[in-house]
Amino acid sequence: MSFRIPCPQCGTRSAYEFRFGGEVLTRPRTDADADAWYRYSFARKNTMGIQTEWWYHRLGCRQWLQVVRDTKENRVLATSFIEKKEREDCA
Amino acid sequence: MLKTRARFSFSFGGTSIEAYPGDSIGVAMFRAGIRIFTRSFKHHRARGLMCVSGNCPNCLMNVDGMPNVRVCTTPAKAGMNVTPQNVFPSLKFDWLSILQKLDWLMPVGWYYKIFTHRFIWSIVSPFIRKAAGLGKAPPIINNFSSTTAPYDHSYIHTDVAIVGGGSAGLTAAIENAKQGSRCVLIDDQIALGGYRRFGTVDTNKNENLIQQAMSEKQITILSHSYCFGLYEDRLLGVVQLPNDNTQGESVTHIRADRVIIATGTFEAPLLFENNDLVGVMLSSGVERLIGLYAINPGHQAVVIGDGARAEHIASLLQHAGIEVVSLVHSEQVVSALGSEQVTGIQTVTTRINCDLIVVCGHLVPNAGLLHQAGASLEWVDDKGAFIPTHLPSGIDAIGDVTGEHITPAAGPSSLNNDSKRCYVCFCEDVTTSDLRTAIDEGFDQIETLKRYTTVSMGPCQGKMCQLSSIEICAHKSKRSMNETGVTTSRPPNPSVSLGALAGPNHLSVKKSPLHNEHKELNAVWMNMGDWKRPFYYSRTRATTMQACIEREYRAVRERVGVIDISPLGKIEVKGRDAGKLLNLVYTHRFGNLKVGRVRYAVMCDETGIILDDGTISRLSDEHYFLTTTTGNTEFVVQWLEWWLIDTNWDVHVINVTGGRSSINLAGPKARDVLSQLTNVDLASDTFKYMMCRQAEVAGAPATLLRIGFVGEMGWEIHVPADYGVHVWKSVLEAGSSHDILPFGVETQRVLRLEKQHVIVGVDTDAMSNPYDAAMPWVIKLDKEDFIGKASLTTQQSTSVHERLIGFTMINDTHLPEDGAVLVCSGAPVGRVTSARFSFLNKTVIGLAWINADLAKEGNSIAIRINGNPAPARIQQAAFYDPSGDRLRM
Repeated sequence: MSFRIPCPQCGTRSAYEFRFGGEVLTRPRTDADADAWYRYSFARKNTMGIQTEWWYHRLGCRQWLQVVRDTKENRVLATSFIEKKEREDCA
Repeated sequence: MLKTRARFSFSFGGTSIEAYPGDSIGVAMFRAGIRIFTRSFKHHRARGLMCVSGNCPNCLMNVDGMPNVRVCTTPAKAGMNVTPQNVFPSLKFDWLSILQKLDWLMPVGWYYKIFTHRFIWSIVSPFIRKAAGLGKAPPIINNFSSTTAPYDHSYIHTDVAIVGGGSAGLTAAIENAKQGSRCVLIDDQIALGGYRRFGTVDTNKNENLIQQAMSEKQITILSHSYCFGLYEDRLLGVVQLPNDNTQGESVTHIRADRVIIATGTFEAPLLFENNDLVGVMLSSGVERLIGLYAINPGHQAVVIGDGARAEHIASLLQHAGIEVVSLVHSEQVVSALGSEQVTGIQTVTTRINCDLIVVCGHLVPNAGLLHQAGASLEWVDDKGAFIPTHLPSGIDAIGDVTGEHITPAAGPSSLNNDSKRCYVCFCEDVTTSDLRTAIDEGFDQIETLKRYTTVSMGPCQGKMCQLSSIEICAHKSKRSMNETGVTTSRPPNPSVSLGALAGPNHLSVKKSPLHNEHKELNAVWMNMGDWKRPFYYSRTRATTMQACIEREYRAVRERVGVIDISPLGKIEVKGRDAGKLLNLVYTHRFGNLKVGRVRYAVMCDETGIILDDGTISRLSDEHYFLTTTTGNTEFVVQWLEWWLIDTNWDVHVINVTGGRSSINLAGPKARDVLSQLTNVDLASDTFKYMMCRQAEVAGAPATLLRIGFVGEMGWEIHVPADYGVHVWKSVLEAGSSHDILPFGVETQRVLRLEKQHVIVGVDTDAMSNPYDAAMPWVIKLDKEDFIGKASLTTQQSTSVHERLIGFTMINDTHLPEDGAVLVCSGAPVGRVTSARFSFLNKTVIGLAWINADLAKEGNSIAIRINGNPAPARIQQAAFYDPSGDRLRM
C-alpha cells in the first residue's frame, strides 16, 4: 500500500499519513426494518473497482475526508471534505 | 595497475585472504585459489562462482554475522570475518554430500508423498531443518537500548528515478538532468558503467558518461544500492549497502514522478548434465573476472555457444592466456565431467579434457521491476526472450531490458534431458527430471509447477531458472511460451534483511508531567501504549515486588494512596448540542445528566461491540468533560468528530489529555487529605459519590470528580499540566500525617479487580458487547437513537453465548496467565482475561469469559495452569465491598 492521497487541505501525501475509515454508507432511519440495519451494520460491498470511502488525515490537518478510490489499482480519483454526509437521521 | 595499490586482508573460515582495493570478497577468495564457495540447498553439491554479478545463489556466505551475503559483489573490507554456511563440517568435505546419492528418497514433492503422517514428520523434521536451508539468522540486536542502530531509513522525492547505472541509465540521467529534472540514479554494482565496464567496446565513451553523470548537480547517484520493489504510485524501495562511511544497510524510499528502468539483461545458464560443477561458469562472469580483476579462471577452457558471442569470448580467453580447447555448440553438449570440479566435457561425438567450461547462456531482460509494476511480459521468438510490454503510466524502459540487442542463445537442446544432475534451479536443487516428473503428475501450469517443485522460489527468485523452467513446461505440455506464461514477480526481489526493513528504533515515548517525581520515588516503569507509567514504587533492594505492591495496596485500603492518571484520555465537549452528540455516541443517556454529576459511559459501534469506556461529567449546561481509556483517546476524538460531520450541531471536541495533569486520591482518609487543600465542602451529603465540582486545589484551578475505580472513597483531581508537580507534592505533604503512599498501575489493577471493574481492551475484545460483559444497565434502549441501538436491540433478545464472570481460585496460589483456558470435561469452555493475587482473602481472583450456560453463581470451574486443571469458583459480585458502601462514605 504505497499510493498517495491528495488531501484538499495539505496536498498530496502518502497514504500512511491517513487512517482508513471504511466505505461511505447511508445510515438507515431509526424506524427502518431489521434487514436494513443488518445490511448497514454488517454487510460491506468490498467493491473491486471504484468506491467512495472515509479517510482521516491523522498526521496532517486531522480532518475527515472522502476519497474516491479505484480499489483494484489503488488509485485515488478524487478527494473532498464532505458537505453532505448521506445520513438520513441525525437528530 | 591494481597490484601497485595497498593490499589488506580479511578472514575466511580462519584463514587469511589478501585483497586489493576494489575487490569484492568473492573475487579476492577466488584469486587466493578458493574454488568451492557453497554447498547446495538440498543435495549439498559443491558450487563455485558462476555469474560474478550477484544474481546466482552460488556464493552466499556469512559476513560478520550477516547470513546469505552475495560475496561476489560485496566489497571486501579489511578485517572482515567470512564463513561458509550450510556445510557439515567444511566446504571441501561435507559429509552431507552423501545426500545426492540418496536423492531417490527425495523425489519432487517428497514432502507431500512421504510425510503423510504427523509421526514421521516429528522424527524427520529436526534433521531436515538442519540439513537444508541457507544461513543462520544473526543474533537479535537489542535496538531498544542502543543509540547506534546499525540500520537506517531515508526518504527521497525526485522528478526522475533511474534504475541501472549502465550506459542506457547514465545517458537517460544526463539527458533528464539537462532538461532541469532532478534525477536519482540507482546502481547495484561496485562501480557505475554496466557491462561496458569490463568490455572492450566504447570504453572511453562509457568513461565519459560516468564522469558527466558524476559531475551533474541534478543527479544523485546511489551506487552499490539495489532496488527491491517498484510499488504503487512509483515508490521505489532501495537498499543502500554499507560503504566506507556507513555502518549498516539503509533503506531509501524514493518517490518519483517518473521511473526509468534501465536494468539491462542478465545471463542464465544452459541445461546439460552436471551443469552445476565447480568450473562451469557463465560467460559474463568470466568476462568480469578477466576484464575487471585480471584473474584467469582456468587454464584450458571449452566454450559452449555459437555465433559472435562465443567467438568474442574465445578471443577474450586467448588474449588472457587461457587455452581454448574447443568451441562446442550447445546442442552437442551431453555432460560436464568431474566429481566436484570440472575435468572435462562429453559431447555427442567426443570427450574433451578441460578445467573450465564457459557457457554463453540465455540473455534475459532484467524486467522483474517492470513486471511488479504491472507490465506484461511477452515471448518474442526471434529474441528468445520475454520482452516487457504495456508499461504502466509514468514508467519507461530503456536499453537492453527492452530486448534490443538480444538474440536467442541456444536451441532447446536439453528440454528432453531427463538427467537427475541437470540443474534448472540452483537455489533449490530442482533438476529437469524433477520438472518433467511434476508435469507428468499433473502440475503442468507454470504457477502450480512452481509451487510444487519450488523452482524459482529460492534466493535468486528465478533469475537463473525461470526461463528454463518455462521452456521445459511449454515443451512438455505442448503449449507455446506465451500460453505457458511467466510466474508473477513480487517484491522484495532481491531479498532484503528484516533489520533493514525495520530500520532504526524511533519509538515515541510519552511522559506524564509528573515523570520526574516518580523517578525520585524509585518508580519501576512499565509501557502503556506510548506512555511510561510507574508499575509500582520500589523500596529497598531487599523488598520484593510483591511486598511493595502489598504495601501500596494496604495504604489505599486502610489509609490513603495517590496514583498519577495523567495518561488517561481527557476530552472536553462544549456547545449547545454537546448533550445531543453524547446521547448519540454513548449507550447511556447524557442529555439529562445534571450539572455537577458524573456517569459511567460505554461507547459501542453499530454492531454493538464495546469500543471504549470512561466517565462523562457535566461541568455546566454546555460543557462536558470526558475521560477515555489511555490507548483509545485519539480514536474517540476521531469518532466524535466523524459523527459531527454534516450535522450543523454546535459542538466543539477538544482533546486536552496532554494539557492536564491528573491524579486519583483514594482511601478512607482521602477526604481528610483533600480538605486541607481546598475550600470545597467535601462532606458525604454535599459532595456525593459520582458528583463533580470545579474548584481550587492547592491554589490551582482543578476539576474534581468523585469516582471510585479502585473501590474506595476518592477524587480524581485534574489540573493544568503546569500545576501538576505542585499539586502532587501538596497532596503528598497533606497526606503525610496519614502515611499516604503513591501507588502504581499494578497496585491499581489488584484494587480494581477486587471490585470486578472491567478494563476495556483487557477484559473485553473485538467480540464483546455490553450484555455479554455483564453490564446491561449501561444500555438505554428506550433512547430514540444511539450508535449500536439496532444491533443491541437484537442482542438483548437473543441468547448470550459467552459471559464475563469473576472467579476465585480454591486452594491454589498459582497465577493463571492471561488467556489461560477454562476446561470442563476436558473441553475448553472459556478463557481468563485478568488474574491477580488478592491480599483481601489471600487467594487468586480474576475475570474470565465462560460459556453462558456455565456462568452461574457458585459454579465450580477448572482453569488450566501449567497443563493441569486447578479448581476455581464463580463469583459474580465484587470480591470487595459488593454493596459499594465504601465508595459513598
